[in-house]
Amino acid sequence: MVKRILAIIMLLIVGFWMANALSGVPFGEDKMLVGKYYLENVKEQTGAVNAVTAVVVNYRGFDTLGEVTVLFIASTGVGALLWRKKKERTAKSEGSVVLRTGSRILLPFIMLFGAYIFIHGHLTPGGGFPGGATIATAFLMLYLAFKDYEIEHKVFEPIEGLAGVGYVTVGLIGLAIGSYFLFDWIWQTWGWGHENIGRLLSAGFIPIIYTLIGIKVGTELTGIVDNMVREEVKGND
Amino acid sequence: MSQYASLLIALPLISAFFVPIIKRISRDAIMPYLSLITLIQTGVAAWAFKEVYTTGKPIIIMAGGFKPPVGINLYIGHFAALFILIVALASFIMAVFSRKAISIEPKDKYAMLFLLLMLGATGMIATGDIFNLFVFMEITSISAYALTGYNKTGEASEASMKYIILGGIGSSFFLIGVALLYGSLGTLNLAQIAQLAGNMNATVAQAALALIIFGLAVEAEIFPLNAWAPDAYQGAPHPITAMFSAFVVKAALYAMARILYITSSASSWSNVLRLLIVLGTLTVIVGEMSALRQKNVKRMLAYSSIAQVGLIAVGFALGTQAGVNASVFHMFNHAIVKALLFLAAGYVAVELGGTELEKFEGLGRKMPLTAFSITVGAVSIIGIPLFNVFWSKLRLILAALSANYAWIAALVLGASVVEAVYYIRLIHLMWFKGEGEKMEENFVLGGIMVLLVAAIIIIGVYPGPVWNIVQKAGSDLFNVANYVKNVPLLGVSP
Amino acid sequence: MISLYYFGAISLILIGMYAVLVKRNLLKMLVGLSIMETGVNLLLISIGYVSNRTAPILSEGATPQNTVDPIPQALVLTAIVIGVATTALALTVVINLYSKYKTLDVEEIRRLRG
Repeated sequence: MVKRILAIIMLLIVGFWMANALSGVPFGEDKMLVGKYYLENVKEQTGAVNAVTAVVVNYRGFDTLGEVTVLFIASTGVGALLWRKKKERTAKSEGSVVLRTGSRILLPFIMLFGAYIFIHGHLTPGGGFPGGATIATAFLMLYLAFKDYEIEHKVFEPIEGLAGVGYVTVGLIGLAIGSYFLFDWIWQTWGWGHENIGRLLSAGFIPIIYTLIGIKVGTELTGIVDNMVREEVKGND
Repeated sequence: MSQYASLLIALPLISAFFVPIIKRISRDAIMPYLSLITLIQTGVAAWAFKEVYTTGKPIIIMAGGFKPPVGINLYIGHFAALFILIVALASFIMAVFSRKAISIEPKDKYAMLFLLLMLGATGMIATGDIFNLFVFMEITSISAYALTGYNKTGEASEASMKYIILGGIGSSFFLIGVALLYGSLGTLNLAQIAQLAGNMNATVAQAALALIIFGLAVEAEIFPLNAWAPDAYQGAPHPITAMFSAFVVKAALYAMARILYITSSASSWSNVLRLLIVLGTLTVIVGEMSALRQKNVKRMLAYSSIAQVGLIAVGFALGTQAGVNASVFHMFNHAIVKALLFLAAGYVAVELGGTELEKFEGLGRKMPLTAFSITVGAVSIIGIPLFNVFWSKLRLILAALSANYAWIAALVLGASVVEAVYYIRLIHLMWFKGEGEKMEENFVLGGIMVLLVAAIIIIGVYPGPVWNIVQKAGSDLFNVANYVKNVPLLGVSP
Repeated sequence: MISLYYFGAISLILIGMYAVLVKRNLLKMLVGLSIMETGVNLLLISIGYVSNRTAPILSEGATPQNTVDPIPQALVLTAIVIGVATTALALTVVINLYSKYKTLDVEEIRRLRG
């Protein structure tokens, strides 16, 4: 009881202190400095109309590389911590008829929707991460519906690794062609897609990177779910 | 040509992503692959070090080809070049040690996490943008969470849980601080923040800095957010504990110092310095007092590490060039000594099955080379002349006296006295008690220990050349006007 | 005194921290951590808002003069993913702790470890 009251008092003090600090940052005022530069120059410099996507992949692409790495670490960490000599699924019953039939019908549509999200990242909100998460949801549905379903591990892990290698390779090609790491060589050196701003085939390497990210995130989240669902087989050794 | 230094980031990343493919080819090739990649990283870091120190100009890497603040830049100045080399060397040594020390599966995932831990620390030291610092800090933290629980014992899992919860709170605080900073200035680039810091509202600046320091204090093991450290050091695999102590905590301390000095023209700066001095002092006191009571050598070394980190934080918080130089020197020396101590302690654990005090009885007879290394390490941390830490502790005392903080000088001396008590107890146990027969000691590990001992003694007898390098690194941190001048900022007007 | 959005974000952060500090069940602590991270993301986005402006997608009539700041949105994208990664790893550690100690109570685990 004492612990709760102490915690509440301390939290209220911290809350007041933060609110005091926030009163110095007025809400709703235009305080953009670098943001304004991005909005004015995004169409010529990157070719995307979605300014957030251009910031994420092009201007601050280094952060996105870090973020992809973080997800990779999470997936590897989950695999390392839950590794047992032999694992199998321990679900006790199949899903209901509605779940089984519905998942079979919806699976291709969900994957199509996920692919749509990451391919059109430079035109509409979304991008690689929500697209990949949607694809992982499709596999999650299969895990929920079918008692013995497992993904093909030997296929998923190398795909994940290769998608990551692909992303860093795109950056290294930028280093080789344009002499800067993660330089957008398609838009700036080769000049492809300049006449297509606002349409699908534009925006330099943004669609390529987002496709790689989408595939990577999809396989990673599926791998995490798979690792958590399967339990150890207590054998006779 | 200098943009090729971005290989320092790209190389560990692409090698880590490549490991699943190596696993399909051959399982046994993974550990030698790890040593190879860390060796190449050491080579690139040495090249960058030579570039920066012979030309005197920092290497600025502009990712994406956009000038800062429009793009993200990496700033590899004197400090970064020195410490990236230390990170790479320490990783190489620990990669070699991992071949013997790691026997729990799955080793391929261990190799991936190892490379990414090294990448995270390198990125934290090299970056020039505050949100990029956050991303690399998370890369380091999440690899550390996974590696802490790697042995999958109950103890390691509990340590990992404590670390995750404290780390999660810390990174949330850091983000709130970044939100305040961005809201009041409009930019995320460190050089531009340094230019504009004088315009910040005093309350906002104070709150933002305090929140950022609290956020970094979890990784930097400052009291009261270091409750995770002793358990994590004890439960993690032995090479990983050495890496935590040698460079992960140093990268977070550097980040704290960098952000602190970048915002030095804000109006409430001295209050923040006072906060850091108080926290650092408490860290030292609690660390030393707890180390006295420990029965497990790895835990004792962990508390001793925490105390040294407190001294480094106090040195940075003095606010003078001398304080910064002293702290950087102490970071350098401490990295070498703790790498040696944890390597030796881990080797004892691998050969003799544990790190309790009883296992160290009679070590002088059983493993004389290892016992000798531990003795040299322990003697140097106490601060005895002719060993390297003596010079850095002396510099700390001189800096404290010249900044009118006489009680900090007393703190350094008091901490050394307490350290003497428990380290001499360990040395006495190793050489003057217990029986045993001489065991076979691994040739490679023995060679590495001898090299580290040699480095400690050489720096102890001739501190001059290292002190020169350290002074340049320190002025890189302290001299903010120089930092801003070196970064090619694009004039972005509101 | 401060805007409603800031107030909401700070309340979420405080509620999350309360759960982490006071609750004994590991899963409840993790939910609290998640709520705290959501509060921080909300705070970041509110900082970037400019009144009476629309989303930063520059097609169909949106010009650079009437869109909001795109940078906090990019920052929050990254922060959400990092939060997911932390939660996934934390849940894994909870699975391991449960299989070793057969309880999710923090005090019990501390007692059992000795």
